[in-house]
Amino acid sequence: MLSSRTKVIACATVIEEMLPHMPPGMQYQVLDFGLHVNPAALKQTLQETIDASAPPFETIILGYGLCSQAVVGLKANNCTLIVPRVDDCIALFLGSAEAYKVQSRSEPGTYYLTKGWIEAGDSPFEEYDSLVEQYGEEKARRLINQMLKHYTRLALINTGQYELERYREYTRRTAERFGLRYEEIPGSDVFIKKMLHGPWDGDFVIARPGETISYLDFKRTTEET
Amino acid sequence: MSNELVNAIADMREEDALRIVREMVESGSDPMTILDAAREAMAVVGQRYEEGTYFLPELMLAGEMLGQITEIVKPALAKAPEVTRYGKVVIGTVQGDIHDIGKNIVTFMLDVNGFDVLDLGVDVPPQKFVEAIRDFQPQVVGLSGFLTLAFDAMKETVDAIKEAGLRDGVKIMIGGGQVTEEVKTYTGADAYGRDAMAGVSLAKQWVGAK
Repeated sequence: MLSSRTKVIACATVIEEMLPHMPPGMQYQVLDFGLHVNPAALKQTLQETIDASAPPFETIILGYGLCSQAVVGLKANNCTLIVPRVDDCIALFLGSAEAYKVQSRSEPGTYYLTKGWIEAGDSPFEEYDSLVEQYGEEKARRLINQMLKHYTRLALINTGQYELERYREYTRRTAERFGLRYEEIPGSDVFIKKMLHGPWDGDFVIARPGETISYLDFKRTTEET
Repeated sequence: MSNELVNAIADMREEDALRIVREMVESGSDPMTILDAAREAMAVVGQRYEEGTYFLPELMLAGEMLGQITEIVKPALAKAPEVTRYGKVVIGTVQGDIHDIGKNIVTFMLDVNGFDVLDLGVDVPPQKFVEAIRDFQPQVVGLSGFLTLAFDAMKETVDAIKEAGLRDGVKIMIGGGQVTEEVKTYTGADAYGRDAMAGVSLAKQWVGAK
Protein backbone atom coordinates (compact mmCIF):
# COMPACT_ATOMS: atom_id res chain seq x y z
CA MET A 1 0.00 0.00 0.00
CA LEU A 2 1.40 3.34 -1.05
CA SER A 3 0.35 6.13 1.28
CA SER A 4 0.50 8.65 -1.55
CA ARG A 5 -2.07 6.64 -3.51
CA THR A 6 -4.37 6.23 -0.52
CA LYS A 7 -6.86 8.75 0.71
CA VAL A 8 -8.87 8.81 3.90
CA ILE A 9 -12.40 10.23 4.00
CA ALA A 10 -13.52 10.31 7.60
CA CYS A 11 -16.11 11.69 9.96
CA ALA A 12 -14.87 14.47 12.23
CA THR A 13 -15.15 12.19 15.28
CA VAL A 14 -13.16 9.37 13.70
CA ILE A 15 -10.37 11.45 12.23
CA GLU A 16 -9.48 12.58 15.77
CA GLU A 17 -8.46 9.01 16.51
CA MET A 18 -6.85 8.34 13.12
CA LEU A 19 -4.53 11.35 12.90
CA PRO A 20 -2.01 10.16 15.52
CA HIS A 21 -1.48 6.94 13.52
CA MET A 22 -1.60 8.34 10.01
CA PRO A 23 1.39 7.52 7.79
CA PRO A 24 3.21 10.64 6.57
CA GLY A 25 2.00 11.84 3.18
CA MET A 26 -1.41 10.22 3.36
CA GLN A 27 -4.13 12.65 2.37
CA TYR A 28 -7.37 12.94 4.22
CA GLN A 29 -10.64 14.76 4.06
CA VAL A 30 -12.92 15.37 7.02
CA LEU A 31 -16.70 15.43 6.77
CA ASP A 32 -19.12 17.07 9.18
CA PHE A 33 -20.15 14.99 12.16
CA GLY A 34 -23.70 16.36 12.01
CA LEU A 35 -24.36 14.35 8.86
CA HIS A 36 -24.75 11.15 10.88
CA VAL A 37 -28.31 11.98 11.86
CA ASN A 38 -29.33 12.18 8.22
CA PRO A 39 -28.19 9.00 6.46
CA ALA A 40 -29.43 10.17 3.05
CA ALA A 41 -27.43 13.39 3.23
CA LEU A 42 -24.38 11.54 4.54
CA LYS A 43 -24.62 9.04 1.68
CA GLN A 44 -24.82 11.81 -0.89
CA THR A 45 -21.92 13.76 0.62
CA LEU A 46 -19.79 10.61 0.78
CA GLN A 47 -20.53 9.71 -2.83
CA GLU A 48 -19.71 13.24 -4.01
CA THR A 49 -16.49 13.23 -2.03
CA ILE A 50 -15.53 9.84 -3.47
CA ASP A 51 -16.34 11.02 -7.00
CA ALA A 52 -14.16 14.08 -6.51
CA SER A 53 -11.24 11.91 -5.34
CA ALA A 54 -10.11 10.72 -8.77
CA PRO A 55 -6.57 9.55 -9.59
CA PRO A 56 -3.82 9.39 -8.45
CA PHE A 57 -5.72 7.69 -5.63
CA GLU A 58 -6.14 3.96 -5.92
CA THR A 59 -7.57 3.28 -2.50
CA ILE A 60 -10.02 5.21 -0.37
CA ILE A 61 -10.36 4.34 3.30
CA LEU A 62 -13.69 5.43 4.74
CA GLY A 63 -13.51 6.43 8.39
CA TYR A 64 -17.07 5.26 8.89
CA GLY A 65 -19.03 2.14 9.71
CA LEU A 66 -22.39 1.07 8.36
CA CYS A 67 -23.65 4.34 9.92
CA SER A 68 -27.41 3.81 9.56
CA GLN A 69 -26.78 2.34 6.11
CA ALA A 70 -25.29 5.60 4.82
CA VAL A 71 -22.40 3.69 3.18
CA VAL A 72 -24.73 1.21 1.47
CA GLY A 73 -24.93 2.01 -2.25
CA LEU A 74 -21.58 3.80 -2.40
CA LYS A 75 -19.30 3.04 -5.30
CA ALA A 76 -16.00 4.29 -6.72
CA ASN A 77 -15.33 3.86 -10.40
CA ASN A 78 -11.54 4.06 -10.27
CA CYS A 79 -10.67 3.25 -6.68
CA THR A 80 -11.03 0.47 -4.19
CA LEU A 81 -13.13 1.39 -1.17
CA ILE A 82 -12.15 0.09 2.25
CA VAL A 83 -14.79 0.31 5.00
CA PRO A 84 -14.54 -1.11 8.51
CA ARG A 85 -17.10 -3.90 8.92
CA VAL A 86 -18.76 -2.32 11.96
CA ASP A 87 -22.12 -0.75 12.73
CA ASP A 88 -20.70 2.62 13.69
CA CYS A 89 -17.70 4.42 15.12
CA ILE A 90 -18.27 3.14 18.67
CA ALA A 91 -16.92 -0.24 17.52
CA LEU A 92 -13.86 1.51 16.06
CA PHE A 93 -13.17 3.29 19.34
CA LEU A 94 -13.70 0.13 21.40
CA GLY A 95 -11.37 -1.83 19.11
CA SER A 96 -13.73 -4.39 17.55
CA ALA A 97 -17.29 -5.13 16.53
CA GLU A 98 -17.30 -7.83 19.19
CA ALA A 99 -16.34 -5.41 21.98
CA TYR A 100 -19.21 -3.14 20.91
CA LYS A 101 -21.66 -6.03 20.98
CA VAL A 102 -20.51 -7.01 24.46
CA GLN A 103 -21.01 -3.44 25.71
CA SER A 104 -24.35 -3.09 23.98
CA ARG A 105 -25.74 -6.37 25.28
CA SER A 106 -24.52 -5.78 28.83
CA GLU A 107 -26.03 -2.30 29.03
CA PRO A 108 -28.06 -1.29 25.97
CA GLY A 109 -29.06 2.03 27.53
CA THR A 110 -25.62 3.52 27.06
CA TYR A 111 -24.89 6.84 25.42
CA TYR A 112 -21.25 6.86 24.31
CA LEU A 113 -19.03 9.90 24.18
CA THR A 114 -15.52 10.49 22.92
CA LYS A 115 -13.52 13.66 22.51
CA GLY A 116 -14.75 13.99 18.94
CA TRP A 117 -18.40 13.61 19.92
CA ILE A 118 -18.07 16.13 22.72
CA GLU A 119 -16.28 18.67 20.55
CA ALA A 120 -18.87 18.29 17.81
CA GLY A 121 -21.45 19.34 20.42
CA ASP A 122 -24.25 17.58 18.64
CA SER A 123 -26.04 15.37 21.14
CA PRO A 124 -29.40 15.31 22.93
CA PHE A 125 -27.63 16.97 25.84
CA GLU A 126 -26.68 19.93 23.69
CA GLU A 127 -30.10 19.95 22.10
CA TYR A 128 -31.73 20.50 25.46
CA ASP A 129 -31.17 24.24 25.47
CA SER A 130 -32.79 24.73 22.08
CA LEU A 131 -35.72 22.58 23.21
CA VAL A 132 -36.17 24.91 26.18
CA GLU A 133 -36.21 27.85 23.81
CA GLN A 134 -38.80 26.22 21.58
CA TYR A 135 -41.09 24.49 24.06
CA GLY A 136 -40.37 26.05 27.45
CA GLU A 137 -38.61 24.57 30.45
CA GLU A 138 -41.29 22.13 31.57
CA LYS A 139 -42.01 20.60 28.19
CA ALA A 140 -38.33 20.47 27.25
CA ARG A 141 -37.63 18.56 30.46
CA ARG A 142 -40.37 16.08 29.62
CA LEU A 143 -39.07 15.64 26.08
CA ILE A 144 -35.46 15.10 27.11
CA ASN A 145 -36.60 12.67 29.79
CA GLN A 146 -38.50 10.76 27.19
CA MET A 147 -35.57 10.86 24.78
CA LEU A 148 -33.32 9.41 27.49
CA LYS A 149 -36.02 7.26 29.08
CA HIS A 150 -34.25 3.92 28.89
CA TYR A 151 -30.73 5.31 29.07
CA THR A 152 -28.87 4.49 32.25
CA ARG A 153 -25.23 5.13 31.50
CA LEU A 154 -23.13 7.87 29.96
CA ALA A 155 -19.86 6.28 28.94
CA LEU A 156 -16.71 8.14 28.05
CA ILE A 157 -14.51 5.97 25.88
CA ASN A 158 -10.89 6.44 26.83
CA THR A 159 -8.93 5.86 23.65
CA GLY A 160 -5.75 7.09 25.30
CA GLN A 161 -5.25 9.68 22.59
CA TYR A 162 -5.73 12.90 24.43
CA GLU A 163 -5.76 14.76 27.70
CA LEU A 164 -8.96 13.40 29.15
CA GLU A 165 -9.58 15.60 32.18
CA ARG A 166 -11.64 18.21 30.36
CA TYR A 167 -13.84 15.58 28.68
CA ARG A 168 -14.18 13.62 31.91
CA GLU A 169 -15.38 16.75 33.58
CA TYR A 170 -17.93 17.43 30.82
CA THR A 171 -19.17 13.83 30.82
CA ARG A 172 -19.51 13.70 34.61
CA ARG A 173 -21.37 16.98 34.69
CA THR A 174 -23.70 15.95 31.87
CA ALA A 175 -24.39 12.56 33.46
CA GLU A 176 -25.34 14.25 36.70
CA ARG A 177 -27.53 16.82 34.99
CA PHE A 178 -29.55 14.19 33.16
CA GLY A 179 -29.64 11.49 35.83
CA LEU A 180 -27.28 9.03 34.16
CA ARG A 181 -24.45 6.97 35.63
CA TYR A 182 -21.01 8.17 34.60
CA GLU A 183 -18.54 5.55 33.54
CA GLU A 184 -15.23 5.56 31.76
CA ILE A 185 -14.64 2.56 29.56
CA PRO A 186 -11.32 1.57 28.01
CA GLY A 187 -11.01 2.08 24.28
CA SER A 188 -8.50 0.60 21.89
CA ASP A 189 -6.58 1.84 18.86
CA VAL A 190 -6.24 -1.64 17.33
CA PHE A 191 -8.97 -1.17 14.73
CA ILE A 192 -7.92 2.39 13.87
CA LYS A 193 -4.33 1.26 13.25
CA LYS A 194 -5.51 -1.64 11.13
CA MET A 195 -7.61 0.72 9.02
CA LEU A 196 -4.55 2.78 8.19
CA HIS A 197 -1.88 0.11 7.96
CA GLY A 198 -3.75 -3.07 7.14
CA PRO A 199 -4.11 -5.96 6.87
CA TRP A 200 -7.55 -5.35 5.39
CA ASP A 201 -8.92 -8.71 6.37
CA GLY A 202 -12.39 -9.92 7.28
CA ASP A 203 -12.84 -6.87 9.51
CA PHE A 204 -13.28 -4.76 6.38
CA VAL A 205 -15.69 -4.49 3.51
CA ILE A 206 -13.70 -4.09 0.32
CA ALA A 207 -15.41 -2.77 -2.81
CA ARG A 208 -13.25 -2.95 -5.93
CA PRO A 209 -13.57 -0.28 -8.64
CA GLY A 210 -17.14 -0.30 -9.95
CA GLU A 211 -18.50 -2.48 -7.14
CA THR A 212 -21.36 -1.17 -5.02
CA ILE A 213 -21.35 -1.62 -1.24
CA SER A 214 -24.36 -3.57 0.00
CA TYR A 215 -25.78 -4.15 3.47
CA LEU A 216 -25.11 -7.87 3.17
CA ASP A 217 -21.39 -7.15 2.59
CA PHE A 218 -21.33 -6.13 6.24
CA LYS A 219 -22.85 -9.41 7.29
CA ARG A 220 -20.51 -11.83 5.52
CA THR A 221 -18.07 -13.27 7.98
CA THR A 222 -15.81 -15.13 5.54
CA GLU A 223 -12.80 -13.45 4.04
CA GLU A 224 -13.74 -14.14 0.45
CA THR A 225 -12.71 -10.73 -0.80
CA MET B 1 -64.30 19.54 16.31
CA SER B 2 -62.37 16.47 15.23
CA ASN B 3 -60.75 18.58 12.49
CA GLU B 4 -59.62 21.02 15.14
CA LEU B 5 -58.18 18.09 17.05
CA VAL B 6 -56.27 16.82 14.02
CA ASN B 7 -54.74 20.26 13.54
CA ALA B 8 -53.93 20.75 17.22
CA ILE B 9 -52.04 17.46 17.41
CA ALA B 10 -50.35 17.91 14.04
CA ASP B 11 -49.26 21.44 14.96
CA MET B 12 -47.91 20.33 18.36
CA ARG B 13 -50.44 22.38 20.35
CA GLU B 14 -50.56 19.95 23.23
CA GLU B 15 -52.77 21.94 25.62
CA ASP B 16 -55.32 22.65 22.88
CA ALA B 17 -55.37 19.02 21.80
CA LEU B 18 -56.01 17.74 25.31
CA ARG B 19 -58.66 20.38 25.96
CA ILE B 20 -60.51 19.44 22.76
CA VAL B 21 -60.36 15.75 23.65
CA ARG B 22 -61.80 16.42 27.12
CA GLU B 23 -64.57 18.55 25.63
CA MET B 24 -65.39 15.85 23.09
CA VAL B 25 -65.53 13.15 25.75
CA GLU B 26 -67.72 15.34 27.99
CA SER B 27 -70.13 16.11 25.16
CA GLY B 28 -70.48 12.40 24.49
CA SER B 29 -68.55 12.10 21.21
CA ASP B 30 -67.84 8.59 20.02
CA PRO B 31 -64.38 7.70 21.40
CA MET B 32 -63.54 6.16 18.04
CA THR B 33 -64.01 9.55 16.38
CA ILE B 34 -61.38 10.94 18.74
CA LEU B 35 -58.96 8.10 18.08
CA ASP B 36 -59.57 8.38 14.34
CA ALA B 37 -58.65 12.07 14.55
CA ALA B 38 -55.50 11.16 16.49
CA ARG B 39 -54.65 8.59 13.87
CA GLU B 40 -55.15 11.10 11.08
CA ALA B 41 -52.98 13.62 12.92
CA MET B 42 -50.23 11.03 13.35
CA ALA B 43 -50.19 10.46 9.61
CA VAL B 44 -49.61 14.21 9.15
CA VAL B 45 -46.86 14.21 11.79
CA GLY B 46 -45.22 11.22 10.10
CA GLN B 47 -45.34 12.98 6.77
CA ARG B 48 -43.80 16.16 8.19
CA TYR B 49 -41.07 14.06 9.79
CA GLU B 50 -40.35 12.38 6.43
CA GLU B 51 -40.19 15.79 4.77
CA GLY B 52 -37.76 17.07 7.38
CA THR B 53 -40.11 19.73 8.81
CA TYR B 54 -40.36 17.78 12.07
CA PHE B 55 -37.62 16.09 14.02
CA LEU B 56 -37.33 13.66 16.89
CA PRO B 57 -38.71 16.02 19.57
CA GLU B 58 -41.92 16.47 17.57
CA LEU B 59 -42.31 12.70 17.20
CA MET B 60 -41.87 12.37 20.94
CA LEU B 61 -44.30 15.13 21.71
CA ALA B 62 -46.83 13.51 19.38
CA GLY B 63 -46.21 10.18 21.13
CA GLU B 64 -46.81 11.84 24.49
CA MET B 65 -50.04 13.40 23.28
CA LEU B 66 -51.23 10.01 22.02
CA GLY B 67 -50.56 8.46 25.41
CA GLN B 68 -52.48 11.19 27.20
CA ILE B 69 -55.36 11.11 24.74
CA THR B 70 -55.65 7.34 25.10
CA GLU B 71 -55.82 7.76 28.89
CA ILE B 72 -58.62 10.33 28.63
CA VAL B 73 -60.59 8.29 26.11
CA LYS B 74 -60.16 4.89 27.77
CA PRO B 75 -63.09 5.06 30.22
CA ALA B 76 -65.44 6.09 27.41
CA LEU B 77 -64.01 3.41 25.16
CA ALA B 78 -64.76 0.71 27.71
CA LYS B 79 -68.43 1.69 27.61
CA ALA B 80 -68.56 1.80 23.81
CA PRO B 81 -70.02 -1.13 21.88
CA GLU B 82 -67.47 -3.77 21.02
CA VAL B 83 -65.20 -2.62 18.20
CA THR B 84 -64.16 -5.13 15.60
CA ARG B 85 -60.89 -6.78 16.54
CA TYR B 86 -59.01 -8.13 13.58
CA GLY B 87 -56.33 -10.09 15.38
CA LYS B 88 -53.44 -10.09 17.79
CA VAL B 89 -49.95 -8.64 17.55
CA VAL B 90 -46.92 -9.15 19.77
CA ILE B 91 -44.49 -6.26 19.49
CA GLY B 92 -41.23 -5.21 21.12
CA THR B 93 -37.85 -3.55 20.69
CA VAL B 94 -35.31 -6.34 20.22
CA GLN B 95 -32.43 -7.22 22.53
CA GLY B 96 -29.63 -4.69 22.78
CA ASP B 97 -31.79 -1.76 21.71
CA ILE B 98 -33.81 0.52 23.95
CA HIS B 99 -35.38 2.94 21.47
CA ASP B 100 -39.14 2.84 21.57
CA ILE B 101 -40.59 6.11 20.33
CA GLY B 102 -41.43 4.57 16.95
CA LYS B 103 -42.55 1.27 18.45
CA ASN B 104 -44.95 3.06 20.81
CA ILE B 105 -46.50 4.94 17.91
CA VAL B 106 -46.91 1.67 15.96
CA THR B 107 -48.48 0.05 19.03
CA PHE B 108 -50.96 2.90 19.32
CA MET B 109 -51.80 2.79 15.62
CA LEU B 110 -52.34 -0.98 15.67
CA ASP B 111 -54.50 -0.65 18.73
CA VAL B 112 -56.80 2.01 17.27
CA ASN B 113 -56.93 0.10 14.00
CA GLY B 114 -58.48 -2.96 15.59
CA PHE B 115 -55.64 -5.10 16.91
CA ASP B 116 -55.03 -6.46 20.38
CA VAL B 117 -51.41 -5.60 20.96
CA LEU B 118 -49.10 -7.13 23.53
CA ASP B 119 -46.14 -4.77 23.93
CA LEU B 120 -43.11 -6.49 25.46
CA GLY B 121 -41.17 -3.24 25.92
CA VAL B 122 -37.49 -2.71 25.09
CA ASP B 123 -34.33 -4.86 25.06
CA VAL B 124 -36.51 -7.95 24.67
CA PRO B 125 -34.54 -11.23 24.49
CA PRO B 126 -35.53 -13.69 21.72
CA GLN B 127 -36.83 -16.18 24.29
CA LYS B 128 -39.29 -13.65 25.65
CA PHE B 129 -40.79 -13.23 22.16
CA VAL B 130 -41.03 -17.03 21.89
CA GLU B 131 -42.87 -17.29 25.21
CA ALA B 132 -45.20 -14.44 24.31
CA ILE B 133 -46.08 -16.12 21.01
CA ARG B 134 -46.91 -19.35 22.88
CA ASP B 135 -49.06 -17.62 25.49
CA PHE B 136 -50.71 -14.82 23.52
CA GLN B 137 -51.00 -16.66 20.18
CA PRO B 138 -50.69 -13.66 17.86
CA GLN B 139 -50.99 -13.84 14.09
CA VAL B 140 -48.42 -11.06 13.73
CA VAL B 141 -45.09 -10.31 15.42
CA GLY B 142 -43.49 -6.87 15.18
CA LEU B 143 -39.76 -6.52 15.82
CA SER B 144 -38.53 -2.99 16.30
CA GLY B 145 -35.03 -1.55 16.47
CA PHE B 146 -33.40 1.76 15.74
CA LEU B 147 -29.73 0.83 15.63
CA THR B 148 -28.28 -1.30 12.84
CA LEU B 149 -26.95 -3.45 15.71
CA ALA B 150 -30.58 -4.37 16.31
CA PHE B 151 -30.81 -6.09 12.91
CA ASP B 152 -28.61 -8.89 14.29
CA ALA B 153 -30.93 -9.25 17.28
CA MET B 154 -33.91 -9.32 14.89
CA LYS B 155 -32.28 -12.20 13.03
CA GLU B 156 -31.58 -14.01 16.32
CA THR B 157 -35.22 -13.51 17.33
CA VAL B 158 -36.58 -14.87 14.04
CA ASP B 159 -34.20 -17.84 14.38
CA ALA B 160 -35.39 -18.49 17.93
CA ILE B 161 -39.03 -18.43 16.78
CA LYS B 162 -38.09 -20.90 14.05
CA GLU B 163 -36.28 -23.20 16.49
CA ALA B 164 -39.29 -23.16 18.80
CA GLY B 165 -41.37 -24.47 15.90
CA LEU B 166 -43.58 -21.36 15.89
CA ARG B 167 -42.43 -19.70 12.68
CA ASP B 168 -45.20 -21.06 10.45
CA GLY B 169 -47.90 -19.77 12.76
CA VAL B 170 -46.91 -16.11 12.62
CA LYS B 171 -46.09 -13.37 10.16
CA ILE B 172 -43.13 -11.26 11.22
CA MET B 173 -42.65 -7.60 10.36
CA ILE B 174 -39.64 -5.46 11.21
CA GLY B 175 -39.37 -1.71 11.46
CA GLY B 176 -37.53 1.25 12.92
CA GLY B 177 -34.39 2.97 11.70
CA GLN B 178 -33.02 2.11 8.30
CA VAL B 179 -34.78 -1.14 7.47
CA THR B 180 -34.64 -2.19 3.83
CA GLU B 181 -35.40 -5.18 1.63
CA GLU B 182 -31.84 -6.41 2.25
CA VAL B 183 -32.32 -6.22 6.02
CA LYS B 184 -35.60 -8.10 5.68
CA THR B 185 -33.79 -10.86 3.79
CA TYR B 186 -30.96 -10.95 6.33
CA THR B 187 -33.26 -11.19 9.36
CA GLY B 188 -35.63 -13.72 7.81
CA ALA B 189 -38.69 -11.56 8.49
CA ASP B 190 -41.70 -11.58 6.15
CA ALA B 191 -41.85 -7.84 5.52
CA TYR B 192 -40.64 -4.47 6.69
CA GLY B 193 -42.42 -1.19 7.23
CA ARG B 194 -40.97 2.30 6.91
CA ASP B 195 -43.61 3.96 9.06
CA ALA B 196 -46.41 3.20 11.49
CA MET B 197 -49.13 3.09 8.83
CA ALA B 198 -47.12 0.58 6.81
CA GLY B 199 -47.10 -1.65 9.89
CA VAL B 200 -50.87 -1.37 10.18
CA SER B 201 -51.36 -2.18 6.49
CA LEU B 202 -49.14 -5.25 6.74
CA ALA B 203 -50.93 -6.56 9.82
CA LYS B 204 -54.33 -5.98 8.24
CA GLN B 205 -53.28 -7.68 5.05
CA TRP B 206 -51.99 -10.70 6.97
CA VAL B 207 -55.14 -11.25 9.00
CA GLY B 208 -57.34 -10.66 5.96
CA ALA B 209 -58.89 -7.42 7.25
CA LYS B 210 -60.15 -4.78 4.86
